[in-house]
Amino acid sequence: MPTKLYRFFSLVNTLAKMELKEEASRFVLRYFWWILEPVILIAIYYLVFEYFLRIGAEEFILFLFVGKIPFLWFTKTVLVASGSIAGNKGLINNIDMPKTLFVYVSVHEALYKQWVVFLVMFGVAVFNGRWPGLNWGWLIPLLAVEYGLILFFSMFSALCVSFVPDIRMLIQMGMIFLMFTSGIFWDVENLPPALRDLVLTWNPLAFIVDAFRQVLIHESVYDRFQLLELAALVIVGLLLIHLLMHKMSRTIAAKVVEA
Amino acid sequence: MSEDRDDAKIRGDHARALKALRDQYFNDRRRLQARLENLRSKYQTSKSTRLIMSVKDIRFTYVTRVGMFKRFVHCALDGISFGLRKGETLGILGRNGSGKSTLLRLLAGVVDPSSGEVECAPETTRALLTLGLGFRSDLSGSDNAVLSAMLQGSSKDEAVAALPSIKEFSELGSFFEQPVKTYSAGMRSRLGFATAMNTNVDVLLIDEALGAGDAHFRQKATDAMANRIKNSETVVLVSHNGSEVQQLCDRALWLEHGVIRMEGNAQVVGEKYNESAT
Repeated sequence: MPTKLYRFFSLVNTLAKMELKEEASRFVLRYFWWILEPVILIAIYYLVFEYFLRIGAEEFILFLFVGKIPFLWFTKTVLVASGSIAGNKGLINNIDMPKTLFVYVSVHEALYKQWVVFLVMFGVAVFNGRWPGLNWGWLIPLLAVEYGLILFFSMFSALCVSFVPDIRMLIQMGMIFLMFTSGIFWDVENLPPALRDLVLTWNPLAFIVDAFRQVLIHESVYDRFQLLELAALVIVGLLLIHLLMHKMSRTIAAKVVEA
Repeated sequence: MSEDRDDAKIRGDHARALKALRDQYFNDRRRLQARLENLRSKYQTSKSTRLIMSVKDIRFTYVTRVGMFKRFVHCALDGISFGLRKGETLGILGRNGSGKSTLLRLLAGVVDPSSGEVECAPETTRALLTLGLGFRSDLSGSDNAVLSAMLQGSSKDEAVAALPSIKEFSELGSFFEQPVKTYSAGMRSRLGFATAMNTNVDVLLIDEALGAGDAHFRQKATDAMANRIKNSETVVLVSHNGSEVQQLCDRALWLEHGVIRMEGNAQVVGEKYNESAT
């Protein structure tokens, strides 16, 4: 079993890195885009909010950036991963392998690119006078839980899309809904207490976005008990979805091949 | 005088007894040898007839969506049963659309049959040998060979260690490090075949792989395949060429419209199949 697990993750790692290598080889600027993309994003925000809209609220760019980056990690990964099983028809048609592999590859591909984006986000925080301290250590469990959450939703959406491809359209719309309800452009802390608790309890992404802001902007700590609850839920969810995908492996293959 | 006679008689009796004992010894030895030989051949027979896979009355139906409420149902295999013995080479013959590739996918465990059973001996590893499995055209031949080997179950170290032999067998030279999109169709096939031949499993399932490259490489591929078959591996070979099956297989199945039209010795089935084509 440990050998099998090691081989599985070694394959995930190799496939994800090869995908990135392939993607980079299609562009003239290659891996440079990993840095360029978040930097252009900051430039756009700066132009739109500081110059055109003149929303001069204090540190609005920092507020927006620290919210948007963790949110984008979630939405971009889940959207790409949702098509990962259906998109690997050729391989699924030829090898009997765990279908979770394709989801893991998509999630890790995004993860390997994400660390550069996070570095830029930390850079923006430092630029705004938030120096790294011990408090930043609270980001580690937060990142781990967000990774688990991304993995769970990626698997769930990839499973659904392999049966009904139309669900991908719904996921795209769902992400827009999430963007407006997760406090990316507004601060969840400014809501009336009852509504604030409601949003933070039922929208895990709103909680994660707010937690990043607590650490990086307010230099305080998020509700650790709530993160623990979320981690427990994510672990149970991941165990169940792995079990389900293992049981349904050949049914998924038949659906993908027939599609 | 009489003592001399008695001595001679005794010596004669001893000699006779000794001869009888010797005869009995040789007879027993021969009998035991024959029995041992018999047991050995019985063991060999039972070993070679041991089933590694058995297919019981399988049916496979494709249901494809062709409209919002319309579905196209196609029965690719209908009531197929046969056994695969350890160490044998089974050929599956059939024209396009006869269901042979679907059967191979069921044997590989990629999909389950709609009904019936595909039983496999415990701990048996099997792989469907496909040319260019998961090849990405923007990556080099070397990267693709590593990926393909890992997808077939090798570890990364094993995959990397096999690269020199893959490079040599595929005869790609300096192209091996170039993106696959720069390859000709023949070069792609050669890389695909060289990578696929690297797989080590109990049951090797091959889908019309021998058509790779030019005549020289085809011969090299056929020899490599024959070599693996000779090394007593269990092989299932799908082909639409009766002569190829005659050349490489012990037994053959002839599929037509999803049912078995003929089954038996590869020479006989291959010949009948070829006759039907002319």
